[in-house]
Amino acid sequence: MTPREIAVVVLIAGGVFFAVVAAVGLIRLPDVYARAHSTSKSETLGAVLTLGAVAASYGIGFNTLKVVLLLLFMFLTNPTAAHAITRAAHELGIEPWTGEEGEDEP
Amino acid sequence: MVAVTESRLLVPVDESASLRNTVAHAVEEALDRAGESGSPAAVHFVYPLAERISFRSSSTRAESARSLLDRVASWAEEDANGADVTIETALVATHEYLSTPNDYADVLVRYANEHDLGLAVFDPRYDPIGSTPLLPSLEAEVRRAGLGVEEAPRNAEQSSQPLVRRGTLTQFFALFAASFGFYLLLAGSVAPFELATGAISAGIVAVALWRVSLTSPVAPPDTVKRLVRFCLYVPFLLWEIVKANVEIAYIVLHPDLPIDPEMVEFDAAVWSALPVTTLANSITLTPGTLTVDVERQHLIIHTLTASAREDLFAGTLERAVRFVFYGRAAARIPSPFERREEEES
Amino acid sequence: MIERVLLGAATVFILVSLVGVYRTIVGPTTPDRVIAINFVGSNVVIVIALIAAAIGEPGALDIALVYALLNFLLSISISKFQVERGGVL
Repeated sequence: MTPREIAVVVLIAGGVFFAVVAAVGLIRLPDVYARAHSTSKSETLGAVLTLGAVAASYGIGFNTLKVVLLLLFMFLTNPTAAHAITRAAHELGIEPWTGEEGEDEP
Repeated sequence: MVAVTESRLLVPVDESASLRNTVAHAVEEALDRAGESGSPAAVHFVYPLAERISFRSSSTRAESARSLLDRVASWAEEDANGADVTIETALVATHEYLSTPNDYADVLVRYANEHDLGLAVFDPRYDPIGSTPLLPSLEAEVRRAGLGVEEAPRNAEQSSQPLVRRGTLTQFFALFAASFGFYLLLAGSVAPFELATGAISAGIVAVALWRVSLTSPVAPPDTVKRLVRFCLYVPFLLWEIVKANVEIAYIVLHPDLPIDPEMVEFDAAVWSALPVTTLANSITLTPGTLTVDVERQHLIIHTLTASAREDLFAGTLERAVRFVFYGRAAARIPSPFERREEEES
Repeated sequence: MIERVLLGAATVFILVSLVGVYRTIVGPTTPDRVIAINFVGSNVVIVIALIAAAIGEPGALDIALVYALLNFLLSISISKFQVERGGVL
């Protein structure tokens, strides 16, 4: 394998790992806000790593530029979208989950 | 500065992006000072109208000045909200040539003396001559004449700002260039056909949106400086993001799901739309914190773990964002945690 | 070799998207569903990019770009719509 192929495989492994983490978080976490944590962070890093792998597989060229643009776009919009959704949730009056016993700390 | 006249304010006005904010600040300041000293509050908004050679006749300029003053007066009344403050507007120097900061200072000081005003509040973007940076020397002149001088805080964006604002040619060309560049980037060639279609599309975009999309006047040197500092910020942010993700991955994959979510609120010490957006997005991307709501600079943040809360209040990110937008000096403002302690003590 | 890795990753991303579909069906609240759909959308963008690289069809990257844009707009407008009840923007 060439160094570039190794880089691609490593980046893809990382990307897939974080995408899986995001999915597990989406299932396991208890409320909207916590789930938004998992999608906004893990999903963004997963996307960035995977698109980085795609860019690396293209080598240097015009297509790489496009992938980098896509990457930057995802990087900017994912957290913004998560923020917009949680904000909507907040304004709809959805209470955040604070542990099984409810309010047990100040 | 004479204590009795302190609550009487002089505010020179001109079309500017931060004018709305300056008016609010001046009214608030006048009321504060009046409350302290017990003397009546007054704010005089003054438009120094100079005789000058321009395309527009002096009567149309006087008209637009008057409409600006009317607008300012209605804003001021809205801000005063029934409180006891005298608001007056005036058009001065109608037949004089004003070309240097000294001339402006003379006019303002004369007006202040006639009306017994003790303090001049300047809009940070006040620049009636255009092209030359007038404010520092004007402030110095006015101060020498024995008046108090104050500058309204820069940049606090108003939530009620209209979508369509006054645009400048620089804004138009900046938007055109950005759209054109993006089009060519997607097209991937500079063939005559692409150049022509690109120019047409960019033209349409620029004409339709030049007064909507760029919220503040474009200043190339500032923008370049910010871009350079932003490039320094990116590696720092990336590192924070990697840390965030490892932490989240650990929490999510841990069998017990060790989370302790809580909503926290704090006022960020950053002042306009773009820096607040950057900060909010950065917070969303870093360890266990997610921006839920932003109102001006008041942030409501959902934190997933206790350690995430500590990191947030240590203010590292906020400091970094300030460094990007305002330079090194602004990075030394105390962190949210220290600010909160100050308030409590 | 690399093509196979890329396609394999695309498969995993599609499988992971099914989790998003599950969350969309289960809910329980509308923001939950929007988040899940946003998650699926991001995954689709990544899958398109991966396939574009794997089968050597760079034109698909433009599709991915537009899809990312739509995905973002969808989340924003649904959130806006939810809060303001019809007053989008």
